[in-house]
Amino acid sequence: MPRQNPAFYALLAALIVMALGPIVLMLGNSLKMNVDITSPTSSLLFMPTLRNYETALCDFLWYEPEHIRRCDKTFGRALVNSLTISIISTGITLILGCMAAYALVRFRFMGRGVTSLGTLMVRMVPPAVLLVPVFGIWTFQFGIDGTIGGIILIYVAMNLPFVIWILQSFIVQVPIQLEEAARMDGAGPFRTFFLVVLPLIKPGLAAAAIFTFRVAWNEFLLANALADRATRTVPVTIVNSLTEYDIDWGLIMATGTLLAIPPILFTLVASRQIITGMTAGAVKG
Amino acid sequence: MTGRDGGEAGLPRITFDKVEKSYGSTLVLPPLDLTLEDGEFTVLVGPSGCGKSTTLRILAGLETLSGGEIYFDDRPIGKLEPKERDIAMVFQDYALYPHMNIARNMSFALRLARAPKSRIDSEVNRVAEMLNIAHLLDRKPAELSGGQRQRVAMGRALVRDAGTFLFDEPLSNLDAKLRAKMRTELAEMRDTIDKNMVYVTHDQVEAMTLGDRIVVMNAGMIQQQGTAEELFANPVNRFVAGFIGSPSMNFLAGEITADRVQGQGFDLPLPPGLAERAGARAVEVGIRPSSIVLEGGAPIQLRVIVSEYLGAQSVLVTRCGNVDVLAEIASVDRIPSGQTRDFGVRTEEIMLFDRATGARI
Repeated sequence: MPRQNPAFYALLAALIVMALGPIVLMLGNSLKMNVDITSPTSSLLFMPTLRNYETALCDFLWYEPEHIRRCDKTFGRALVNSLTISIISTGITLILGCMAAYALVRFRFMGRGVTSLGTLMVRMVPPAVLLVPVFGIWTFQFGIDGTIGGIILIYVAMNLPFVIWILQSFIVQVPIQLEEAARMDGAGPFRTFFLVVLPLIKPGLAAAAIFTFRVAWNEFLLANALADRATRTVPVTIVNSLTEYDIDWGLIMATGTLLAIPPILFTLVASRQIITGMTAGAVKG
Repeated sequence: MTGRDGGEAGLPRITFDKVEKSYGSTLVLPPLDLTLEDGEFTVLVGPSGCGKSTTLRILAGLETLSGGEIYFDDRPIGKLEPKERDIAMVFQDYALYPHMNIARNMSFALRLARAPKSRIDSEVNRVAEMLNIAHLLDRKPAELSGGQRQRVAMGRALVRDAGTFLFDEPLSNLDAKLRAKMRTELAEMRDTIDKNMVYVTHDQVEAMTLGDRIVVMNAGMIQQQGTAEELFANPVNRFVAGFIGSPSMNFLAGEITADRVQGQGFDLPLPPGLAERAGARAVEVGIRPSSIVLEGGAPIQLRVIVSEYLGAQSVLVTRCGNVDVLAEIASVDRIPSGQTRDFGVRTEEIMLFDRATGARI
């Protein structure tokens, strides 16, 4: 198709509107008063205000906004919960995942192939299937429902198979001679792994981190079942604030905008690690 | 961490006692006996797949033994980890740590051993000076040329100050000119550094120029060991005769009759004694390309197929019957291709091999 074709640009424009429209709408509404949002004469011309953000983050502000009579800590707390759960579960997943992947790639033991395939199969189980059993076990056996630790645990379990699988393919690419050289230089398996292999699979770790963080950040189903009032994550809080008595659209839009920022920042930082040619110069190609 | 309390003088004598290696049911290295004297530069040479690299890797501790034992003097080391063997190794593909600069690559082993920083610095600098890579210490391996990487790989081993150095085809990735240069430097290093060195290569030129002792291997078996001169002058079988020497020896099928050996397109007299030793049997006649001359010797008619002019010497690819025969002669006159003419063979240099077993007669 010739590039000058107007239909081509029309199609592009339509795609852009579809992709950016909801985000622009969310951003716009988060800067409006509820009166403006719900008014039938809704327009693009309005007095922007940061009130909704002030309400959401009232707990963290150094000043007291005059429009808030009583600070509702729900959203601020949810943001902290989300950050804590996502970061810790990502960290644990990566640490366990890279060591498990290394063992699966480099060590020969009975059932290695089955384990390797099995981890991936586990990933194929939809979270909804896990919901009831996990809820039952977490609540009645472990008694860790409603705790941040409980949610972190299930996120680690959920993400680990994929991380192991993704990191295996990175570890395979590290030339075995490097590890042999490290062995000759006097490094045991742990030092070989941490000093030689790990620095070389940084791109893999970054990719896995982005993936894990996003899954943990966006997860709703299990968090909704396991969290209590104090440990709710942002997605759960947003849904729970849609009540039959009152829907504070402005606040929801502001929280939604805040919800979108951390993954974007995280991805920007992590993706800088994704560079090719990490092993250049190691061995003759 | 290693048993180097004996000091510099105490280089171990390395003994392979019926060392065996198999992967599953595939035997890659039949029982192998070999003794490497201390301070010797030993070259294991053979075609690819002959077991020379496996032998080296077993010595390094990167492969486990399937049977037998290796002794350093009287100490069995077959079960020890590589780091407990006091061995440093240079890999064929360099295997430099790409995320560390050259200084850190070279000091990796010392840092692992928690050597004092002052000693690490002085050792790295000393070796870097020796190998002419002092100006590269801050660079990463990716910024280096192949020859420079090769030096760094050697430097990393030398910094270790181990008793035994292993080289696994260290020059095979370099271009011809650089290889020759590094070979010379290695030969120089061999004389200045008093260590056990075991060097694996498939290149017989490297083997002959570097080795105090050359061990020729084929199909996991040691064919012959000795100095370059011994192997060239007195090969024990057809394999060694064909492997050592460049261009390689010509082999012609022949029969012994009285004191002559005859075959398709040739009839050569044998030096006294050789015919009697051989008796009447089917043999392979081995003639070195350098034994064929233009003037003198026993006459043989050869048809010149290609004449490769190499400067002072020319290598002629000729045909005797239906076998190609190489002749290495001084380039006096250009010999045109396609011509059939008389050459001479220095009969005292002829070797005979049993056609069935390949053993030297």
